[in-house]
Amino acid sequence: MRAPVSLAPVWTELRGHAVIRFDQVSKRYENGHEALSQLSFEVKEGEMAFVTGHSGAGKSTLLKLLALIERPSHGHIVLDGQPLAKIHRGGIPKLRRRIGMVFQDHRLLMDRTVFANVELPLVIGGVAPVERRRRVRAALEKVGLLDYERQLPDSLSTGEQQRVGIARAIVGRPTLLIADEPTGNLDPQLAVEIMELFAEFQQVGTTVLVASHDLPLIKRIRKRVVVLDHGRLVADVAAEEVL
Amino acid sequence: MNAPIEKPEAESSEAVERSHHTRARPFASWREHHVWSAVASLRRLGSRPFGTLLTVAVMGLALALPLTFYLLLGNVQHLGDALGRNPAISVFLQPGQPGSVAQLLAKQVGERNDVATVTLKTPQQGMDELAKMQGFSDALHVLDDNPLPYVLQVQPKDGLDAATIDRLATDLRGLHGVDTVQDSGSWRQRLDALLGVGDRIVLLLAGLLALAALLVVGNTVRVDIASRAEEIGVLMLVGASRAFVRRPYLYAGIWYGLFSGVLAVLLALLVEWSLLGPVAQLSQAYAGKLRIGGLPPSLLLAVPLAAAVLGWLGARLVSAWQLRRAA
Repeated sequence: MRAPVSLAPVWTELRGHAVIRFDQVSKRYENGHEALSQLSFEVKEGEMAFVTGHSGAGKSTLLKLLALIERPSHGHIVLDGQPLAKIHRGGIPKLRRRIGMVFQDHRLLMDRTVFANVELPLVIGGVAPVERRRRVRAALEKVGLLDYERQLPDSLSTGEQQRVGIARAIVGRPTLLIADEPTGNLDPQLAVEIMELFAEFQQVGTTVLVASHDLPLIKRIRKRVVVLDHGRLVADVAAEEVL
Repeated sequence: MNAPIEKPEAESSEAVERSHHTRARPFASWREHHVWSAVASLRRLGSRPFGTLLTVAVMGLALALPLTFYLLLGNVQHLGDALGRNPAISVFLQPGQPGSVAQLLAKQVGERNDVATVTLKTPQQGMDELAKMQGFSDALHVLDDNPLPYVLQVQPKDGLDAATIDRLATDLRGLHGVDTVQDSGSWRQRLDALLGVGDRIVLLLAGLLALAALLVVGNTVRVDIASRAEEIGVLMLVGASRAFVRRPYLYAGIWYGLFSGVLAVLLALLVEWSLLGPVAQLSQAYAGKLRIGGLPPSLLLAVPLAAAVLGWLGARLVSAWQLRRAA
């Protein structure tokens, strides 16, 4: 029997190395607003980190740069050992398939069932139908929505919709999970549950980066915190130092 | 929320192996998405029947117009053929001219360089021809004498231009004993020239209306894409390529084109059918020589297919432009 061929990206062999590396990254928009200024930091494989700061600190811009929704004005970003500057337009979809993204407004397709929403990254990725079904059900079970698979997102509560968004983000087993204010619309108890879910993903080796301004929640989860202010890194607090 | 979490793809060797089997199926997944896109776009068209019907009707009418003109033009050509393609010149001698004069004239005309043949028709032959034509046989019985003159059927040589034939007709008119000269070739030439203009007009019209159909599909797809901007944004964020996003819209263009092509063919067939009655009546007047020329079966098949390609092209151009802006 032939040994399974390893398709793991190069970075996995460099366990413990940086999955995300920002090197002197600045982002200035066309209107002159500088959202990020000479930002440098790293997030290691299997690490979970919060990016926090007041509104306009640059949290969302940082995530947009990672997903290649925006390009930096200066500096270098390296993801999975791959410089993002070298990824041309045609390569963006491939990169995004390796990242799970969770949004504050869920970004669900309201005319498709919960199952179809979660299935979307697998359809795009060309996964076979039987395997798709298995993975979607596993993801829905994880977020506690297996019984809702045939429903439309409209019939779910905001918290449930967010969990559908999370199931969609994890169903492709991404190596990096990024979330932009994922608990912004949720009540405190549900917010904790969602954050604990992210922490569980980190436990199995997924690198997780969450942008949030909810300090009490961040303190409760006790993970590394990167603090931004007017686009600059003002503090980088290790998990064990979070009070 | 306490189900076990699956490791990320790169972490689990089992997952890696499985993913090797499930993802290394580019053709299967491509085909799967094509089938899905074709069905989904058809459903989407069906979910707004009024708008779809309107678009198909506008495109169908636009495509039916040149097709109908083509049909009519073809039949005018048939009519011309039925009435005589031979550009012969009929020279009617004055009544009372004897056969000897007629034969002399025939010999004289036949010696000309620009004449191929000359056929002499006697008054009796003329009367026999008339008798064969419907509606004349009874009328001829009331005549005491044969009033018809000798007629020379002059066939000009092949390849002569209109001016030379005109000159020949003028010369024939000037011959002694000639009453009238009927140049059937000149009206045929004018008809052919008119048909040539008509052909060109049909071609131009087809081009312009095809462009109009393309724009109609393009605009419909543009509105469709604009109304689904949010969905497209989500698809792109979760890793869909532009080709993936565009596919259902291309199929929508194909459906619009195909349906409007079928509608155009049906409209043209309706016109053809509505012409059958009047043409049958006209044909009777020409002893059944006139037949309506229908649209060739190859064209009936080609129009929907060409319209589908047109629809695809319209959708392709607009979606490429819009998705480039969305990316």
